[in-house]
Amino acid sequence: MAYKLIPELYQKLDPSLFANMISYREATIQAAPAKEVTADYPINQLAKAMHPDVITLVVADIIDHPGAASKTYVFNAEDGGPLPYFRAGQYISLKMQIGDSFLSRPYSLNSSPKEALAGKYEITIRTNPTGFAADYLLANVKVGDKFRSSSPQGFFYYEDLRDPYNIIGLAGGSGITPFLSMARAIAEGTEDFNLTIIFGSRTEEQILFKDEFDELAKCDKIKVIHVLSDEEKEGYEHGFISADLVKKYMDGDCSIFACGPEAFYKFLEKELPKLGLERKNVRYEAKPITKKVEEDQDFPDASKGQTYKVTVKQGPNEYVIDAVCNEPLLVAMERAGIKAPSRCRSGECGWCRSKVTGGFFFVPEVSDFRRWADKKHRYIHPCCTFPCSDMVIEVPFEYL
Amino acid sequence: MIQKYDIVVVGAGNAGMVAALECAKAGKKTLLIEQHNLPGGCATSFVRGRFEFEPALHELVDVGNTNTWGEIGDLMRSYHVDVDWRQVPECFRAVGTFSDGSPLDATMPVGTDDFIDAMEEAVPGCRESVTKCFDLMAEVANGTRMLGKLKPQELMQQFPNFAAVAAAPTEDVWNALGVPQNAQDLMGAYWGYLGVSLDKLAFSHYSNMLYHLIKKRSYIPAHTSHEISCAMIERFREMGGEVWFNCRAEEFLFNGDRLCGVKTTAGVIPCDYVLANINPDIIYGKMMPKELVPEREKKLSAARDRKYSARCFTVYFGLNKSAEELGIKEYCIDVNNTSDSRTEYAKVFEPFEDKTKSVVFLCGNLASSEASPKGTAVGFFTTMHGPEEWSNVTPEEYMKLKNRYAKYYIEKTKELCGIDIGPYIEEVCVATPWTFARYIGTPEGAVYGYETRDWDAMSARMAMVDTDYPIKGLCPIGAAGPRGDGYSSAYVTGRMIAKLALKRLAEEGGAQ
Repeated sequence: MAYKLIPELYQKLDPSLFANMISYREATIQAAPAKEVTADYPINQLAKAMHPDVITLVVADIIDHPGAASKTYVFNAEDGGPLPYFRAGQYISLKMQIGDSFLSRPYSLNSSPKEALAGKYEITIRTNPTGFAADYLLANVKVGDKFRSSSPQGFFYYEDLRDPYNIIGLAGGSGITPFLSMARAIAEGTEDFNLTIIFGSRTEEQILFKDEFDELAKCDKIKVIHVLSDEEKEGYEHGFISADLVKKYMDGDCSIFACGPEAFYKFLEKELPKLGLERKNVRYEAKPITKKVEEDQDFPDASKGQTYKVTVKQGPNEYVIDAVCNEPLLVAMERAGIKAPSRCRSGECGWCRSKVTGGFFFVPEVSDFRRWADKKHRYIHPCCTFPCSDMVIEVPFEYL
Repeated sequence: MIQKYDIVVVGAGNAGMVAALECAKAGKKTLLIEQHNLPGGCATSFVRGRFEFEPALHELVDVGNTNTWGEIGDLMRSYHVDVDWRQVPECFRAVGTFSDGSPLDATMPVGTDDFIDAMEEAVPGCRESVTKCFDLMAEVANGTRMLGKLKPQELMQQFPNFAAVAAAPTEDVWNALGVPQNAQDLMGAYWGYLGVSLDKLAFSHYSNMLYHLIKKRSYIPAHTSHEISCAMIERFREMGGEVWFNCRAEEFLFNGDRLCGVKTTAGVIPCDYVLANINPDIIYGKMMPKELVPEREKKLSAARDRKYSARCFTVYFGLNKSAEELGIKEYCIDVNNTSDSRTEYAKVFEPFEDKTKSVVFLCGNLASSEASPKGTAVGFFTTMHGPEEWSNVTPEEYMKLKNRYAKYYIEKTKELCGIDIGPYIEEVCVATPWTFARYIGTPEGAVYGYETRDWDAMSARMAMVDTDYPIKGLCPIGAAGPRGDGYSSAYVTGRMIAKLALKRLAEEGGAQ
């Protein structure tokens, strides 16, 4: 089809713009100075300072909480400078070597965001005799030890675009740490919301940070209610954190944030629906991966009790490792000394995202946060994925 | 010791993925490395609670469908990349004020005739000039396809108006055709997608986008950009390509003046050729020996003078009510305030101070029924920012600033579009230039490469591809490339430059 010339275009526009575009462009380039190219941009530097690939932390102090069988570790940045800022409630993924294993553990920061800028992070570790890392760290870590860590991660924080002004924090045992950070953030003026913490401990003696919370509760935005399950004492609530107990402290429009061990979540999942809150008003910190995957009704019978061979490819390297069906693939890789990426260890963050090229696997529904296309193309988050046959997987590198 | 590859593609962004596909298709031993743990760059997704969020894509305008595939549909099909495309029901809804001060709120349909009818309804009397403009847009679209295929003389003969308008600024062409200002306001509402105002934007560039949008409609993947990226990576792997994630290129290694490898966080990778999905300024400024940066490339960089196109400020929201319940009726609402793209583009670079910048509000559910779970809605709004307001901010101020802006736009959406999302937010996430800098590493977190100015417009860049890539064994690809910014452009640039590299590799041979 032929196009008709539109005369007004030629009258009013300059066709030489097109005819001369190459010479015009070249002339503009040649007229510029041949100076050295630089590529330092404040925005990129600021983003990098907030989210470095890896941070090196040095243990500056250790505070013992004998009653709660816990210790608080105070870290400084290795270079003595500021540490990445964060939202109160976020965690760091601490990397460690125990024997031949390279592993990570996520710990909520209990220090405040302002303290990070002064070069200080704090975490608290509670004894866990059935676990692998906690008791090792409690027994062995000393002042001066160095750790590699991720920058602060996670979505368990107050968000004023979403949350009402009143937050009820439900904490079980060492699940108190993100709320300590939030309370400190409120007290120092970094965060602005009303925080009512309902904190479950076994006995008065086992309450973590009792004195500090007494002090923080002098701030009129912070309230702390202690609930003791194993003893009855005046001035304390008694029993478990039930819907009735929570209701007693709910005041107007509020959201519930919960953090604690697996059993704590299981209890709350039965209780909290009784409050009739909308889904957006009930938030759980990353739930741990089940230790009893074989009890999951969807777990294949044929895989129960089995150990499999898993071929792990990481860039040019290839490893063949043993993996038991009731342990996540990430744990099998860590045991084998493979430096696989990991952060949240609850299926949520997806940092360990890996490709399955052979074999079968199982992901508990509650821990499955994979993207739609990742499911379609057989990508997994190894931290929450259990082998159900021999497998071949490709894992990303980890920045270390 | 890492084995040698024919080609290493650095960066699995849109251009990188297509370049990798092209190299693998040509039978080259190809490695794609990506600094993040998943592919796509901007073309990705993220999960919060029960929502999966699209971070970047608004729509693709040249996909087409089984009747007529467009350039991008053809490109995907040429690599057998399979995506579940969903059609966006309308072109856009434009909200704001006409240049003459009267209120503007018009929903523009797809299809040329319907679009022109809607133009006439919104701006009575514009039919004749707008129809003329559409004829011209058809000619430009066809002429663009023949660029480089026909001799200049033949091109001028077959497409007599093409040369007159190809390099002219969009608003000059509309003025020449006598398109009334209010009609220009409405047709120009989409300018933000090309990241520069209509007095600077070449008509051929805007015309091609608008023409395809109206004529061929636009599409999104059913399940976010990550669906496209995953499908591309899958095909690349099937063709024998390898992908390493969490692997960052740090330095390009040379033997004399010829590239011979790339140093990465996972070790040194020897190779014959690198296609780097990285802005050239970063390559020349940080990743290769200064003395090997060619004089002309230094001049080109100086001429571009760090004028990167827009940085995005984006708020993603997952809502606990359906789009229908919330009264959201259009997929895409362009809120342009004054309708004068010059004023609005200038505002991009001004500090916020509660000035309303142009903003685009999107709701994925209107195009894909699977965008979010039943009874919910998912979407985002995007506005463009300059570098200054994000360059001198402390971390404490940063946290407050992003929420202050977000709240402002949530209020504006309510006021101007009648859509109140505030009470229904179940998940929310704010991305700033810092966020884009973190994940895609572009200069100042810009998403659009260099501003396409008059001397550095798409057609001139395309015509000079052979001159613009002087380094032996290394070609940058991506949004800073000849086709300019946007998904489609990056895809096409990735393929174009991969072809150039393959040709040179065949002619010149590889590293010694």
